[in-house]
Amino acid sequence: MIRTINNLGNYVLTSIEEIGRTFNLLLIIAWKILLPPYQIFPIIKQIYFIGARSLTVIIISGVTIGMVLGLQFYNTLERFGSVGVLGSAVALSIIRELGPVMTALMVVGRAGSSICAELGIMRISEQVDALECMAISPDKYLVAPKLIAGILCVPLLNFVFNVVAIGGGYLVGVVLFGVAEGSYVNGMIDSVVWADVRLGLVKSLIFGMLITLICCAKGFYLHLSKYGSQGAEGVSRVTTDAVVISSISVLFFDFLIGALMS
Amino acid sequence: MENTSAISISNLDVDYGSRRILSNISFDIRQGEIMVIMGGSGSGKSTLLRTMLGLKKPSAGHINMLGTDICHASQKELYKLREKMGVAFQGGALFTSMSVTENIQLPLREHTKLDENTIQIMTRIKLDMVNLLPYENLMPSELSGGMKKRAALARAIIMDPKLLFFDEPSAGLDPITSAELDNLIVMLKETMRMTIVVVTHELESVFAIADRIAILGDGELIQVGTPEEIKSSTDERVINLLNRTPRENIVDGDVHLQRLTRDNQ
Amino acid sequence: MKSKLSAESNYDVLELSGEIDLHYSPQLREMILGSLKNGNSLLINMAEVSYIDSSGIASLVEGFQTAKTANLSYGLLTISSPALQVLTLTRLDRVFTLYDTVEQFQSQL
Repeated sequence: MIRTINNLGNYVLTSIEEIGRTFNLLLIIAWKILLPPYQIFPIIKQIYFIGARSLTVIIISGVTIGMVLGLQFYNTLERFGSVGVLGSAVALSIIRELGPVMTALMVVGRAGSSICAELGIMRISEQVDALECMAISPDKYLVAPKLIAGILCVPLLNFVFNVVAIGGGYLVGVVLFGVAEGSYVNGMIDSVVWADVRLGLVKSLIFGMLITLICCAKGFYLHLSKYGSQGAEGVSRVTTDAVVISSISVLFFDFLIGALMS
Repeated sequence: MENTSAISISNLDVDYGSRRILSNISFDIRQGEIMVIMGGSGSGKSTLLRTMLGLKKPSAGHINMLGTDICHASQKELYKLREKMGVAFQGGALFTSMSVTENIQLPLREHTKLDENTIQIMTRIKLDMVNLLPYENLMPSELSGGMKKRAALARAIIMDPKLLFFDEPSAGLDPITSAELDNLIVMLKETMRMTIVVVTHELESVFAIADRIAILGDGELIQVGTPEEIKSSTDERVINLLNRTPRENIVDGDVHLQRLTRDNQ
Repeated sequence: MKSKLSAESNYDVLELSGEIDLHYSPQLREMILGSLKNGNSLLINMAEVSYIDSSGIASLVEGFQTAKTANLSYGLLTISSPALQVLTLTRLDRVFTLYDTVEQFQSQL
């Protein structure tokens, strides 16, 4: 009994420590990127890794989700005789909810896991120590470009997702089921307002920062976590953790932001 | 030899959590000398090295390096000092996303505004010194263990630092390369006036290169002295270390039988 | 590092003294390349050099290469012991042409 409470207490304490450390990393980087030297090229490189490489996954999942939405909404709306609002339904769901969330989750799987693993491996093979000893700040040199790239890329990928998903819905609704093209498109234009777009944008910015920060911090601070001395296995465990926690955070903040901004 | 200290360690205590790894370590490393730090496994020599590099904060004590107390220095002061330091880590710690040349050039690109040609020539000079010039465009994953260590050394000396640190330089190297490395270390000290700290096990290298030797055991400093002083030491632990005497494992016969045949719990 | 550049009849002499390290080597490089760009052969007097690091050596090497391409003469005069040690360490003692007297240099212009 006491043991369980002990373990629980331990777990809570280490989790709080970790959250604090992660947030601290964000503050350190926010401060350091304001000072020279400015690392433009590494940021561009990271934008390529995170953004360009995720593009295929985003397009495929976007089209698919759009098609699924088209299918499901059509099915439901038909029962009420309101297939005319298909365009609105698909667009609003994508722009407000599914676009930001799915984009973030895809990027976590595609780029977040590799970021975490890369930083973790660098940590245990003393590459991070080597940077420190060369008077190169590892958080500025390694983590900051990834963080900045993440905050920039995720909203952009979100935009791509939105476009192809709405296209997917069109494919199913208009092309497949014969909903009037005019009502799909005009319904969408009429019902989507700036508040919806703004919500999606805020979400994707926050998600971008969140998932990159969590994945970077998990890998970068591997040596301070309980997996620190496990070598390669530790890296794989911390990466799994990072993906799980990032994903859950996205879902949690999705609700929070939605509640606060409605 | 000048008698000024390059590194001055006083009353150093280092802990990992509740475990005391180093207790009350005090000794000096003089400018322009090669100090070898030796000790058995678990003696704390890696921790001592990490603390000297500023990677670990001690629980008590001071380390004064070239005028800066690194245990109480700001990050800015620490980084300024590190530009005069070179470190060759045990596994090389080369950056896997860059070629050998890019690895070696990194400090130059980050800290100096030297012309491209100058950087190029300096890199090749250092590569040649460690016999890696034919491999300058290879990636670290394409190098053998010995080559990685040599590349790490080239990277450590690229800025001609005043302080050079080696973590197990000869581990895993063939005898010839190991001897070449020893020669290089001695030449670096003499020609470039470097103060060099080497943490190692390899006895042959130790006596080939050391001006002085510091022996650690169980987190304490057992002895510091010249090779002659160490060789003629009367401390049992030092003698055992030098003679490679295996640790004795005296066990009662019955107890041992019990240990071998008891049920696993 | 202190330096003095003087022009002789058909070549320049660059006298160096003191320590040449990361801070001064760009300056050294400028002077060497400047001389050579004007089409002058160059003799570098290293007698008073107390210390030279690899950035300084790199400047000397670049000068040598530039001189070779431009078909100009290039040499080091009365190289000091510390400087010679560094050249030997970096295996460049056989690359440069080392002269003991000015006459030797002049004779092969």
